[in-house]
Amino acid sequence: MARKPYLKTQEGKEAITGYLFLLPALILLSIFLLYPMGTAFYYSLTDFYILRPDEKNFVGLENFSMILGDAAFRQAFVNTMYFTVLVVPIQLGVALGLALLVNKKLKFKVFFRTAYFSPVVMSLVVVSILWTFMYNPNEGLFNEILASLGIPEQPFLSSPDQAMNSIIVMSVWQGAGFQMMIFLAGLQNIPGHLYEAAEIDGANLFQKFLHVTLPGLKNISLFIFITITIAAFKLLVQPMIMTQGGPLGSTKSLVYHIYEVGFNYRDVGYASSMAVVFTVMVLIITIVQRFLIKEEEG
Amino acid sequence: MKRMSKWIIPVSMSVALLAACGGESNGNGGNDNQNGNSAGNNTGNNDNSEQPDTVETGSADQEVEASGEESVVLDMWIHQTGEDETNFYVERIDAFNESQDEIFVEAEVIIDDGASSYSDSINAALVAGNLPDLLALDGPYVASFAESDVITSIEEYVDDADREDFVDSIIEQGSYNGELYSLGAMEASIPLYYNKDIFEEEGIEAPTTIEDAWTWDEFLEVAQDLTTEDRYGLNLFMNYGVGEWLTFMGAPFVWSNNGELIAEDGSTADGYFNSPETVEALEFVKELFEEGVVDLNPGEMQFEEGGAAMALGGPWISVSAEDAGMNWGMMPYPYSETPVSPSGSMAYGITTLSDHPEEAYELMHWMTNEESTIGLSEVTGMPPTRHSAFEQMDHYDELPWSIIRDQVTETAKARPQTPAYPVLTDAFAQAFHAAALGEDVEEMLNQQLDRVEREIGRFQD
Repeated sequence: MARKPYLKTQEGKEAITGYLFLLPALILLSIFLLYPMGTAFYYSLTDFYILRPDEKNFVGLENFSMILGDAAFRQAFVNTMYFTVLVVPIQLGVALGLALLVNKKLKFKVFFRTAYFSPVVMSLVVVSILWTFMYNPNEGLFNEILASLGIPEQPFLSSPDQAMNSIIVMSVWQGAGFQMMIFLAGLQNIPGHLYEAAEIDGANLFQKFLHVTLPGLKNISLFIFITITIAAFKLLVQPMIMTQGGPLGSTKSLVYHIYEVGFNYRDVGYASSMAVVFTVMVLIITIVQRFLIKEEEG
Repeated sequence: MKRMSKWIIPVSMSVALLAACGGESNGNGGNDNQNGNSAGNNTGNNDNSEQPDTVETGSADQEVEASGEESVVLDMWIHQTGEDETNFYVERIDAFNESQDEIFVEAEVIIDDGASSYSDSINAALVAGNLPDLLALDGPYVASFAESDVITSIEEYVDDADREDFVDSIIEQGSYNGELYSLGAMEASIPLYYNKDIFEEEGIEAPTTIEDAWTWDEFLEVAQDLTTEDRYGLNLFMNYGVGEWLTFMGAPFVWSNNGELIAEDGSTADGYFNSPETVEALEFVKELFEEGVVDLNPGEMQFEEGGAAMALGGPWISVSAEDAGMNWGMMPYPYSETPVSPSGSMAYGITTLSDHPEEAYELMHWMTNEESTIGLSEVTGMPPTRHSAFEQMDHYDELPWSIIRDQVTETAKARPQTPAYPVLTDAFAQAFHAAALGEDVEEMLNQQLDRVEREIGRFQD
């Protein structure tokens, strides 16, 4: 008996169905992600100036060598790293703390959970505007509170030293609620009998947290760690709305710098080359993180 | 009450904005930064006391329909602003369509949030090759568009009598390399506002003509005298953020000190942007802040609430001051060597893609004629762009508005006409802000100069 062609077999049919299911996603990804990424890579090798779309010249790696000497890029890079290195552990910690709080059998649990989560559903732009009011050195809420505690007024966003830290605090407040929900799901997945066993062994609250809760959350923590890191690298809205990258460039992030060069200064070629560098950077960091996670699991 | 309002604004806004989260939200939600960025180039409708109702973007609600017999159909883009202003544009377009039956204009309202979305729309249409025949554009960007052949020269269409009727600053703003590209119906200016009650109390006399305008020394002295424990002498609206406002408001300090931001032929900024005159001007700005005369973080209504005795603000401040019920006056922009005042606003350009430049000019002419500029001025409170309009508008003959008229017709200077403007203006705004923060002015100017020079280099081959 002649063998059926592969596509006529049960296995083949399932494969076709599978690929058909994949198709819509693949098409959309190609149009809205892969194609733009490809063009960005192409533009990064040209001197594309937005007002002269028909006069793109191939300039090789000139844009990339310009990045090396670009003080603004360097500053934006340092700012972005600073933001990421601080925001990731703080946000992770705050999210875990909030999750532990609302996981307790408290009155008004639902209310607190909603309250902590509500900043997440607000638009980041809106939150940024509101916090700009609250950070206002003369009339803002925060200095009002500080004054009532007898602490001298702070300049917040208008000081090069405090602006980025102020943005970090706001970002954690806005973002932590989301990770809290993920942590909460993780907490509720830890079997109760583990805690019971720990109690029988005489473990105190802290020991239970250290030896039961934390190991139970390990995979979730790593997932959150990666997503926060990538999100932190994409810092844009907060400085754009709150400080316009100032004072003295102290809150200019990489993505903001790329946006400005590309759209305000119309230098799409150079902006694309910075975007390529940025993508490679995030890619490397993600791969390293993935690698570390694999190690941990193994 | 004052204390409470600090809580109420964020709280009530968050409620309102939460409600808006689900649907689309129009307007800026009171974002003073964004308003400020556009303040210089844009309209007075973004005044801070009242959020204007904005018009939906997309095809304008035109009352007059095409008869189908017109031989030419023109596309036109207008930027989204306050409802009254946009409606006025649409009315004028309707009137144009009715006035003749050769040309029909289809207008489209393009989103303009005061930041960059309008220019983003222009950029996108440019790359895609579907720009309209006539578009509204921001005055200082005429040079960029002209240099890159996005808009076309109108030299061959404009007649001399007409050219003479426009104030110099509007012709200057619309020209590049000696050719006229753009005309506008709206000017802008910045007078020195003052609180009349405070001035009376302190026995200070405000100058009423440009000849009597204060020099920097007089200005600083008065500002110092007026600064008290709970009041600043001056407000520079630093709350608008580091953007176009700082160039629009701040560059006259340099110009009046006989400095420039860039060489007249645009070939270099070295020796201009960092010249002793420029340094001196920003040193003066720095002094204002160091002396505690100006607030680096003023509240939105600082001047209107009496928290500052004087203010260098746009024409829209008269609206918010009036609304606040304060007793206000205007005097001329203070100067160092030569009186100079800020200028510039939205204007029109005909794109090179247009198949009907002559008809597009007819439309541009209509949108900037006497009737249009007077009507627009009445709707927005911004000064008109024609001498004949000033002659017909009686309130410009009397104080305080005569200050604005004198400035627009005598001392107004357009921002530099260079294709490097986007970088130049940001560089200057950064340097101005650094001066306000007390940084080394010369070092900051030289640091920013590198960017400007690199950008200028792009247009020099």
